[in-house]
Amino acid sequence: MDLVDFVQSITDGLLFGATYALIGIGFTMIFGVMHKINLAYAATSIAGAYVSWAVGTLLPLPALVTFVVAAIGGGIVGYLVYLCCFKFIPVTSPLATLLGTVGMLILIDEIIVHETNGMPQPYPALFDDVYFEIGEFYGIRGDLLFIFFLSLIATAILLYILYRTKLGIATRAVAQQPVAAQLCGISIERTNASTFVITGLLGGLAGAMIGASVGVLSPLLTLPITIKGLIVTVIGGLGSIPGAIIAGLLVGAFENFFQALRGVTERDMYVMLLLFAFLTFRPGGIFSKTTSRD
Amino acid sequence: MLELQALSKHFGGVHAVDDLSLTVNRGEIFGLIGPNGSGKSTTVNLICGVLPVTAGTISFEGHDITSAQPHRAVAAGLARTFQNIRLFSHLTVWQNLWVAQGRTDGHESSRFVKRWLAGDSTARRSVSDLIAFAGLSDRGDEYAGNLAFGEQRRLELARALATGPKLLLLDEPAAGMNLEEVRELDERLRQLVERGITILLVEHVMELVMGVTDRIAVLNFGRKIAEGTPAEIQNDEAVQEAYLGSSNKA
Repeated sequence: MDLVDFVQSITDGLLFGATYALIGIGFTMIFGVMHKINLAYAATSIAGAYVSWAVGTLLPLPALVTFVVAAIGGGIVGYLVYLCCFKFIPVTSPLATLLGTVGMLILIDEIIVHETNGMPQPYPALFDDVYFEIGEFYGIRGDLLFIFFLSLIATAILLYILYRTKLGIATRAVAQQPVAAQLCGISIERTNASTFVITGLLGGLAGAMIGASVGVLSPLLTLPITIKGLIVTVIGGLGSIPGAIIAGLLVGAFENFFQALRGVTERDMYVMLLLFAFLTFRPGGIFSKTTSRD
Repeated sequence: MLELQALSKHFGGVHAVDDLSLTVNRGEIFGLIGPNGSGKSTTVNLICGVLPVTAGTISFEGHDITSAQPHRAVAAGLARTFQNIRLFSHLTVWQNLWVAQGRTDGHESSRFVKRWLAGDSTARRSVSDLIAFAGLSDRGDEYAGNLAFGEQRRLELARALATGPKLLLLDEPAAGMNLEEVRELDERLRQLVERGITILLVEHVMELVMGVTDRIAVLNFGRKIAEGTPAEIQNDEAVQEAYLGSSNKA
């Protein structure tokens, strides 16, 4: 492997890692607000992409609209997950909600398998015919660059909501002091629900990006994306959005580098090793939270 | 204004609050005192809906709020501060007040979008009023977690006021304050009453309670053992026994 391949694989990985970053943000935001893990989150994301695929089979959509439909689909599925797994289950039984989301993960998976007979479905890519050549050997894929910028925009909008709007500041207030937030007139249920919708929108978009850059949608995507999302969340530090962004890009680059070096069958092993290294040497993640809440 | 009827809270076999009835009238400062563990904080938690009630009822301005969720109690006009300060320490002073002001729940959401688009100028004005009231005028963009202890207490009081309360529940607001700060607080509470806010004050610091309150109820082991004006309470035998007598018997 020469230097060009090295740089090329890391660039591609960094760009694709933007989708991992979005998935990681979703996991980490739900954890930040509710202190609960939503294991159905990556399934929500893929389900959002499938919604846009299903709509696309009924009436042909421009590729850009497909992404929007996927985001909306993810938002709706995210809200359904909240209704089924969180709304009616008391906060005092964390295991019940955790297993509820596992059930939801399997359910979403099964629905997709039954509706598509388990066959992968083609998913439209954007700018896949664009290729920016830099020098003689090196280049950047247009579709990867597109999803990278799309996730940059999505992240910027999310951060704007979280840091500049009342909805976002109320969400952060709940994450920091749930009891005091309620006594400022903020409804915890409403905040939880809006968190699931917002992360669902983000997830649907990420699902569409994954579909677009792989070229197909398959039910086989949900489990690996769930695992990658959790790895990104842990490496970034539970509850930290900047951490999830950095960890997402890191995992994307790391994975693609080892895929180029050792092949697709071995690459996940090295990602697991990266996780293992973090758990051993920096168990709190890149941005470990020191503040506690009661 | 606030009426507790036969209010009880049991934690397992412990009767933290036992058959407590009391009435707080509009415009007064009502003191709730008692030795440690006598159920004062539990009572506050019951009133504002943080803890579920075991038995009894709570009514506020004629409405039953016994099982209302906290944000509903706030919407009805209740607000509180905490014994151990609970600010949003990663939000700025300004944001702490802004988020408490105008509720984000319920049907307010559409109005919220309009206000947000309109730049929210009325909200901004009264947030700066509150910052001035808390004496934090030059610290609006500081993170709440970076404030000094006394400033945090003042900010928490201002945050409670931001919700626009009719009744303010203060859980030991003078804890850890020196005498001068207590005097300042005394002054602030009187200002609030002038603005038409009723106060239920839970407190250990007797200088504050005896000076500022109109009436006082005394709790011991979750039960009310006395109620009256500060002068009556100071001369009440049962109260003196509750505070001093236990050490004689022990």
